[in-house]
Amino acid sequence: MKKFRMITFTSFNAFTNMALDEAIMEFVRKGISQPTIRFYGWDPSAVSIGIFQGVRNEVNLDATKAAGVDVVRRLTGGGAVYHDRLGEVTYSLIAPLDMFPTNIIESYRVICDDIIFALKELGIDAVFSPINDIIVNEQKISGNAQTRRNGILLQHGTILYSVDVETMFSLLNVSNQKISDKLIKSVQKRVTSVVDQTGASMEDLQKALVMGFKRNREIEFGDYTDQEKSRAQELVKEHFKNDIWTYRL
Amino acid sequence: MKTNSITRKFEKMLRLDVTYTDHIENLKITGDFFLDPEETLDQIVSELTGVAVPIQKDILLRETRYILDSNKAELIGITVEDIINTLEEVTQ
Repeated sequence: MKKFRMITFTSFNAFTNMALDEAIMEFVRKGISQPTIRFYGWDPSAVSIGIFQGVRNEVNLDATKAAGVDVVRRLTGGGAVYHDRLGEVTYSLIAPLDMFPTNIIESYRVICDDIIFALKELGIDAVFSPINDIIVNEQKISGNAQTRRNGILLQHGTILYSVDVETMFSLLNVSNQKISDKLIKSVQKRVTSVVDQTGASMEDLQKALVMGFKRNREIEFGDYTDQEKSRAQELVKEHFKNDIWTYRL
Repeated sequence: MKTNSITRKFEKMLRLDVTYTDHIENLKITGDFFLDPEETLDQIVSELTGVAVPIQKDILLRETRYILDSNKAELIGITVEDIINTLEEVTQ
């Protein structure tokens, strides 16, 4: 079994966070970096949109600008996400594709099971909700997204620690149709958080997630390499902070 | 020339923005669906741009499925039928 490098929680800006994922994918593909699980936060707060989403459709750009919230397009599909600076833990898992089920939904399930285990450690009874969510009593507590490129799988996702729904929905343009389809009257009732469910601290959540991701893998703790950090800064300029990428749809 | 947009909720959201006359001049396909490999979407958009309006659904279904098959692509959260049916709706 290949050993994973685990990088504990550190906060970066949105562009660096997404660039680190891509840089690590490149170095894992070249065999230079180990398969990696990283935990991180977003400073400043940010909105990330899915690779196929229209930024103007999904994001209230006047509101994000006024609030000093960055907007970044991800490499992965899925929906727009508000990443509160203090309100969530995000993880990325980057590994050769052959370490995970070929079936996309099954690979989501395998990785999400680690998060479900972590939440259970905190006393939260969560379940996987295909395609890519983890829910507690029909409320979303974790959203996840995946891409597969050149034989490498990247799955990243958020675990909501506390949720400021008013800010979240002031920054995102949420479709009324999406809400009504889920038969939920209040937008606020669509999401929940660790704080809503239990008295666990942010540190407790981070520790539980480390346990969850460690339980079926050989892990050694590490840090970003200088090569990865350097390549990430190139990708920030070329790609993630470039309007051609962000506003391409 | 007409410009029209439509958003439909399937398992995931799909939005089409279309400019058309007697054929599709410009098409944008967006949403929170998943497609692996992602580049396949550009090929689908390219295939559907320029086709005659009203669209011929059967032909477009076949051609779009062919693009997915030839790229060994996996579309999750929406289907080819969802795209083509929505395209028909938005150009009516």
